[in-house]
Amino acid sequence: MIEKSVWLLPVFILALLFPSEVAAERGKTLTMATTTSTDNTGLLDYLAPKFQKATGIELKWTATGTGKALKLGENCDVDILMVHAPNAEKRFIQNGFGTDRREIMVNDFVIIGPENDRAKIKGKSIEDAFGDLRARKATFISRGDNSGTYKKEVFLWKTAGLPIPDKEPWYVQTGQGMLSSIQVAAERNGYTMTDRGTYIKYESNWGGNPPLKILVEGDKALLNQYSVIAVNPVHCPAVGYDEAKRFVIWITGKEAQRLIKNFKLLGKPLFVPNAAEKKNSTQ
Amino acid sequence: MSFLLNGFFQAIELLASGNAETYSAIFVTVKVSSYSMTCSLVMGIPLGFCLGYFDFRGKKPFRTIIDTLMALPTVFIGLLVYAFLTSRGPFGGFGLLFTVPGIAIGQTILALPIVMGLTATAVENMDEKLRITILSMGANRRQLFLSSLWETRHGILAGAVVAYGRVMTEVGISMMVGGNIKWHTRTITTAIALETNKGQFAMGIALGLVLLTIAFCVNVSVALLRRRT
Amino acid sequence: MEEAVYKIRSLKHSYCGQTVLSIDHLTIKPASIVGLVGPNGSGKSTLLRLLGLIEKPAEGEIRFNGRAVEPFSHNARFQITLLPQEPFLMRRSVFRNVAYGLRLRGDSVNAIERVDEALAMVGLSSEKFSRRPWYALSGGEAQRVALAARLVLRPKVLLLDEPTASVDAASAQLIREVSLKAREELNTTVIVASHDRQWLYEVCDEILHMVKGRIFEKGHENILFGPWTKLGPDLWGKKLSDKQYIRIPAPPNDDVAAILDGLSFAGDDETIDDRKFVLRGVVTRFNLERNSGRLFATVLVENQAFTLELTNQQAEERTVFPGKTISICYDPDHMRWI
Repeated sequence: MIEKSVWLLPVFILALLFPSEVAAERGKTLTMATTTSTDNTGLLDYLAPKFQKATGIELKWTATGTGKALKLGENCDVDILMVHAPNAEKRFIQNGFGTDRREIMVNDFVIIGPENDRAKIKGKSIEDAFGDLRARKATFISRGDNSGTYKKEVFLWKTAGLPIPDKEPWYVQTGQGMLSSIQVAAERNGYTMTDRGTYIKYESNWGGNPPLKILVEGDKALLNQYSVIAVNPVHCPAVGYDEAKRFVIWITGKEAQRLIKNFKLLGKPLFVPNAAEKKNSTQ
Repeated sequence: MSFLLNGFFQAIELLASGNAETYSAIFVTVKVSSYSMTCSLVMGIPLGFCLGYFDFRGKKPFRTIIDTLMALPTVFIGLLVYAFLTSRGPFGGFGLLFTVPGIAIGQTILALPIVMGLTATAVENMDEKLRITILSMGANRRQLFLSSLWETRHGILAGAVVAYGRVMTEVGISMMVGGNIKWHTRTITTAIALETNKGQFAMGIALGLVLLTIAFCVNVSVALLRRRT
Repeated sequence: MEEAVYKIRSLKHSYCGQTVLSIDHLTIKPASIVGLVGPNGSGKSTLLRLLGLIEKPAEGEIRFNGRAVEPFSHNARFQITLLPQEPFLMRRSVFRNVAYGLRLRGDSVNAIERVDEALAMVGLSSEKFSRRPWYALSGGEAQRVALAARLVLRPKVLLLDEPTASVDAASAQLIREVSLKAREELNTTVIVASHDRQWLYEVCDEILHMVKGRIFEKGHENILFGPWTKLGPDLWGKKLSDKQYIRIPAPPNDDVAAILDGLSFAGDDETIDDRKFVLRGVVTRFNLERNSGRLFATVLVENQAFTLELTNQQAEERTVFPGKTISICYDPDHMRWI
């Protein structure tokens, strides 16, 4: 029957395409794992074409939570990481999973809350602010996941000398992304900690007048340090180490650092490049 | 609520303006679902037919297993496939993680039990008189098999449509195995997840409507095919 | 003497452990029309399915034209065809349904003409029906198409399972005529299972009674089927009409079948024994069995047919002819349950 052989045709075509699919994915590419909040700023969309123009390498990145990004590096599924969780990163390097860590830029976290600010934390230091929130049992929304933001929040509770309010009724753990968590905070008239980038977006969604406003900012403890780490070729022989190294060199170079400085999210600056600040950390 | 209406208009705009990201996502979605549907149909229809047609020891428990596999959550499949395709895993050397074929493998696992189970059901519902009729006309074993298969085509097609629906709309596998990499493995569904997470609800709705349009076009062709045969 | 079309030996078949068919031996002569009569569950369909090579018997042997056969037997499967009870067509147009068997054989020469011819044989105009899809036919039309699909193959054996049960009267009549035609024109052997005794008595050369999977006394015995009811104190039987009933002794259960021995002609002047039970009916058929020279009359009492053997003398003296109303009688105690 002619009808029967017609059915085989698409199968043949697909079978021919299949291997070329797999092959095409290799070539001059660099696979990166980064966090959703980094990806959401749009910085990588902005930098990737410039990197490709400078080096001919195509940057491909997958955005997940910090925990998963580190896991992908450990599993040798990516060539390079761009994350913002210094303690976890240092452990990553100590375990031999990563190498060539370079700090590249900072942005900051802010504490936001309702305008009426029942807990009266506006303008205070982070230590005092957290202390007041706890004392007043003010509703506080936390990410409660393995993200860099959550890790930062935990770190801040600790440095303030306060226990993590894990089981307290006023402490809400959403396990969701930053924007969703902000929305939960708005609905519950509560406070939360967010990165500035997400806040800028949130603010813009509300046409510049959102229900939650920045109450605490500028404290040094609220700085969010971004770094790149190449996946260790000793641990992962098949990884694209050369390409990763070239990215590290490029992004810490003058040109890229200038690009980072000029990057604006919805018209507002977001990152402060700091690759040149000090000769970097543990290898 | 306004994002529903905004989403509708945005959908039209995305398609009409030839928005590159949207069309890339469409292309990836179509590619991935074509691979996975082809594989699952080519494997699933004969296997499902044999499952429904023949009697063998352990048939009932096997059928129960297939039925259970129809309810596999996509994130679970995504995790499993990731475990196998990860660089340090058994099939890591093939470089399938974060690629379209990798997602297709996961989606085939998703679709295969559906195709098998529904084909088997269609075959089991075959009228006994069909067998009598075909044999009465003098068919040999091969002709009996092929003619029976052709006669159940409507039931099998229905199974394929269900499988296709699941494959087109899944997020868990595409996300875990594909990595939602822009231009490469970002499907419409992972793009929706991304936009919704970023708070861009209107965009999420828009992409959802685009997906529905594609599904609609496919089902229209299926309906035409059904009428022709 | 031609070779028998079918020769069956020690045939047994069972479903789910229950024996549904048990035939010691059976011969079917070529170009004959044989009727199978019996209640539901008597094994008629099973026998047809085995003869049609649809299933393999649990035990025993079927010989077709001298050769042992079973499902998928090469030559035999092209010569034997079975029409199931309810109309069934494959999901395709009428034309393609009828042409299906030809395609299976790779014999599509002049397919269109042959299909048209077969459709004409069953009284369907190919212009109107050829292109119709399978779902656009009435029950009777579908059954006729199914029959055409088998006739187009010019089969040596045509097995019909209750062919007139699910169809309208016109189609039933047509199927009856076609069966006769097939035998005359194509020398086809026709085996029909049916409840429709009228049909059978008109068409069949031979009638086999089947009860509980066994063949009883081919041809001319009177087998009466239940259900039996209590018609009065110490009176059992089956009502045939307001005026007449069949009387039987107390049955072991209300579903059992009975063989009536000794049905005789009750002439008007004959002393009717008290023990004899009388019925009045019309002679519908009067046959000479060629081989034995015996005369048999079919007497229809209300809707129940009886077979009465007559001697030449009785026939002449009582002027028995089809259409005449006569009396028959039997002794209710001379009955055998089966």
